[in-house]
Amino acid sequence: MNSYKIIFALLWLYSALIGRAEAYIDPGSGSYFFQIMIAALLGGLYAIKIYWKNICSKFDKSAKKSDEPSE
Amino acid sequence: MNLVNNCRIKTKDSASFRDPSGFVYTRDDVLLRQVNQVYEEDYRLLMKSGLYNSLVDKGFLVSHSEESLDMALSPEACAVLKPEFVPFISYPDEWCFSQLKDAALLTLEVQKLALESGMSLKDASAYNIQFLRSRPIFIDTLSFEKYREGEPWVAYRQFCRHFLAPLTLMAYRDTRLNQLFRVYIDGIPLDLAGSLLPWHTKMNLSLLTHIHLHAGSENRFAGKKASQGAAVSKMSLMGLLDNLEGAIRNMKLKKFSTTWSEYYDITNYSEESFENKKSIVKGYLRKLKCGTTWDLGANTGVFSKIASEFSGLVISMDIDPLAVEKNYLEIRNNKEENILPLLVDVTNPHPGCGWECVERKSLLDRGGCHTALALALIHHLAIGNNLPLDRIAGFFAGICDNLVVEFVPKTDSYVQKMLSTRKDIFENYTHEAFIKAFNNFFNIESTDKIEGSERILHLMSRRKTNG
Repeated sequence: MNSYKIIFALLWLYSALIGRAEAYIDPGSGSYFFQIMIAALLGGLYAIKIYWKNICSKFDKSAKKSDEPSE
Repeated sequence: MNLVNNCRIKTKDSASFRDPSGFVYTRDDVLLRQVNQVYEEDYRLLMKSGLYNSLVDKGFLVSHSEESLDMALSPEACAVLKPEFVPFISYPDEWCFSQLKDAALLTLEVQKLALESGMSLKDASAYNIQFLRSRPIFIDTLSFEKYREGEPWVAYRQFCRHFLAPLTLMAYRDTRLNQLFRVYIDGIPLDLAGSLLPWHTKMNLSLLTHIHLHAGSENRFAGKKASQGAAVSKMSLMGLLDNLEGAIRNMKLKKFSTTWSEYYDITNYSEESFENKKSIVKGYLRKLKCGTTWDLGANTGVFSKIASEFSGLVISMDIDPLAVEKNYLEIRNNKEENILPLLVDVTNPHPGCGWECVERKSLLDRGGCHTALALALIHHLAIGNNLPLDRIAGFFAGICDNLVVEFVPKTDSYVQKMLSTRKDIFENYTHEAFIKAFNNFFNIESTDKIEGSERILHLMSRRKTNG
């Protein structure tokens, strides 16, 4: 899936940029910011997954209907 | 109104002090949970939203009854709950891979259902999960708070430390790495997990994101203030949960065999002897009608299953993570409800740890048992671990009222194998010395030789006064 590859590439780019900062002030806030960023990406993937499932199930239903013997 | 009157014996649980929403305590030997006024709004929402009923109906959350406020321990109380009793408390370093995986999936499922009901988990600690009727169950009724649109999942980091990091380490590096929980009781630090994991885990989108990048971001953004308007939609939260769930569902243990997981396939006695041993043990247990049984050195749980016919609950303990894994999967598949497999090294069981060394109790402080099984164990303790027989007998006298114990003499081929690479310094390892040591603490009720072997089974009952 193309969107998957793009997100993967973006995350790799991000990993190259973050580096290490020895900041032990409050690691929890770091996690907070990170979640805001990645939730948007993962939410997007999730939305695509749901729409794709819906489309597949519609095709399945119509395929089943056409398989049913006509009266 | 005096809310703390008439208490005869009241004890606050040593692990229940971090959350201002309430705490667990015992009063006259009854376990209760106090809900404080500061949490009242969220508690009422949990009950009215239908979330509580939905979770309890699915077996995901312990049920409770509301008791009189007179039972409260302090004046801040707005409710007192009597939760369903969990007979044995276990910790994540005592779980096998699949137990931790099932606990993780349950936590995510509970969070998804909470979001659908307008609530969210405010913590995702592995210690909030226990095993009841052989299934994981969420025990912290006060972990739910009102979901506020746009807010991130506050327990995301804790979930990654308590579940994702140890599971990934167990699956991709070594199944024994959940033992890190003994040091890191608030979960495995993500930078540590990242440094221990193989490089190729960075090629997995979920592990790259939730462990490697997450660890880097913890340091990068530490101490920065959240800007106004930064928000996480519910769809994004569901995406986050879905991704975590997918990553965990796909995790599998590497296939490899260990010394004990194949034990019953390589025993040194015949099938007839093994059947005879089962029959003798069954006869002993039938006489005892056990409450709780501890099967120490249970391996994959063959004798635990026999004990479960006569016991309320069997704690099936073994040192081998794969033997415990096999045991758990079989119990789960067969829906056996009164056996709890745990990863326990009898020579070094879980100690008291955490705040004041009592936040997490030692194995022995979490209860003794009516009956202990020590089958094919004593020679490992005495010869494999240089433990004197009187210290072994003293240990068992401290944990059980009745003991089913097997003595394997030096002439047995297994013991011979153990001694083949070391000097025999165990002059006192004889049946006579064994009986003498155990007689200090126990009455020997029965002694039976296993047919076709040199092994001897004993049924013992603890003397009222030692000595």
